[in-house]
Amino acid sequence: MDSAKQDKVRKFEEFVDRRLKPDLVHAIAQRDKVFEQQKIFSDLRRNIENLEKNSVTSLRTLVNLGSEVYMQADVPDTRHIFVDVGLGFHVEFTWSEALDFVAAREEKLSRQIEEYTRLIASIKAQIKMVCEGIRELLQLPVTEL
Amino acid sequence: METMGTVTPISSVFPAEEAQKASRRVQDTIAEREQQLDQLKGFINDNVSVINLVQKLPDETHHNIMVPFGKAAFFPGRLIHTNEFMVLLGEGYYAERTAKQTIDILKRRGKALETKVESLKAIMQDLEAEASFFDATAQESAEGLVEIREDYVGEASSGAETAGYGKSDSTSSLEVDARKAAVEDEEYTRIFSRIDELEKEEEEAEKANESDEDERKQNELDSTIREMSVHQEVRSSPVQAIDAAKAPEAPAVSKDGSSRRDCPPPKSSTMNKVLELPEEKKKVQAPPTTSNMAFTGSIIEHAHNIGMNMPEQQTGARSSKPVSRFKMQRK
Repeated sequence: MDSAKQDKVRKFEEFVDRRLKPDLVHAIAQRDKVFEQQKIFSDLRRNIENLEKNSVTSLRTLVNLGSEVYMQADVPDTRHIFVDVGLGFHVEFTWSEALDFVAAREEKLSRQIEEYTRLIASIKAQIKMVCEGIRELLQLPVTEL
Repeated sequence: METMGTVTPISSVFPAEEAQKASRRVQDTIAEREQQLDQLKGFINDNVSVINLVQKLPDETHHNIMVPFGKAAFFPGRLIHTNEFMVLLGEGYYAERTAKQTIDILKRRGKALETKVESLKAIMQDLEAEASFFDATAQESAEGLVEIREDYVGEASSGAETAGYGKSDSTSSLEVDARKAAVEDEEYTRIFSRIDELEKEEEEAEKANESDEDERKQNELDSTIREMSVHQEVRSSPVQAIDAAKAPEAPAVSKDGSSRRDCPPPKSSTMNKVLELPEEKKKVQAPPTTSNMAFTGSIIEHAHNIGMNMPEQQTGARSSKPVSRFKMQRK
């Protein structure tokens, strides 16, 4: 009886440590990646809006060649922009097209973030539940965390 | 007069699993360092490719490229002013350099990286040595190796004894020693009466050269104590024969050259432990270096080959040599 109970507790703990916690860490890492993407696209949107507002048609900028060595680069015509659409493809857009695309992309990313947040919450809930189960098995008093 | 001989199984000082844990920890650190090393190697490779790029960019006045605009977008554009580079010097300061100057900076950076790699490699070698040491300790501990340690015993200076003992031994062996003291007393009166006899014999035998009687006596005592312990105990039983074999090599260290010396360990239970060991190995840690330091070093041995070859070889050499060398020194 007692050993069976201990066995069960051990199994539950293993489930939490080997399954739920790695899942949680993974989900959080995934969400962070999506956050990064979101930031990239919101920056891009802001930059394009800036170009539009100031009606900049030619641009001089510094390009990083690696190891923090920069060289000047000249962009004669900024009205055509190539945006990464995923899988290594870049599509040539005008400013308005690019803004539409970025808006759609941002919406999708925020949906993904929502999804991951929900997933993380449910994993956390499962961990909590299993811990509660262990507590009941051991007949420990309820502790407020 | 009492002996300080102790037999400590290594496993009691360094339990096998503890040593393995230590070794695992060191392995983890090595893995970490390896990652750092890989990172540094990546930096070096980057640096080399940038040097190549900087070298060939000024060959033309402009290059058509896609100019990055943020991380997800590009503009078609071109590199201009191909002999002007902005190079980060550190702390957010940039300097405008020509291609040649940039290459010099990058080469210096490369050298700094190389020295970093070298020092990292040295650290890793140290860690590997440490890991192998822990592994060896774990293995020895698992095999049941014991450490036999004996302290110098002064003729009458019990104060000095305890001092020396505390220095060279762990507290656990002190306790063991205290327990053994009573058993040993009897043994030692017997041993010393024998020593006196032998001393007289020897004094008669070599009356020829002496200037400092006391010092000579001590040396003779040194040798006779060994001879005696071997002879006496070989006679009695196989267990004691092994004792005798160990005795001459087992004593612990003291560098003060005072009148202390080692005595053979008694046939107490600690000795018998050695016999029960399944495997044998012996290790001489500190062989005697000078003649007036009597027999130093702690020895770890396993039981089988001791009975056969140790007694004659070791005791024979030891008992005669220190005396003569010491005399030579005195002249």
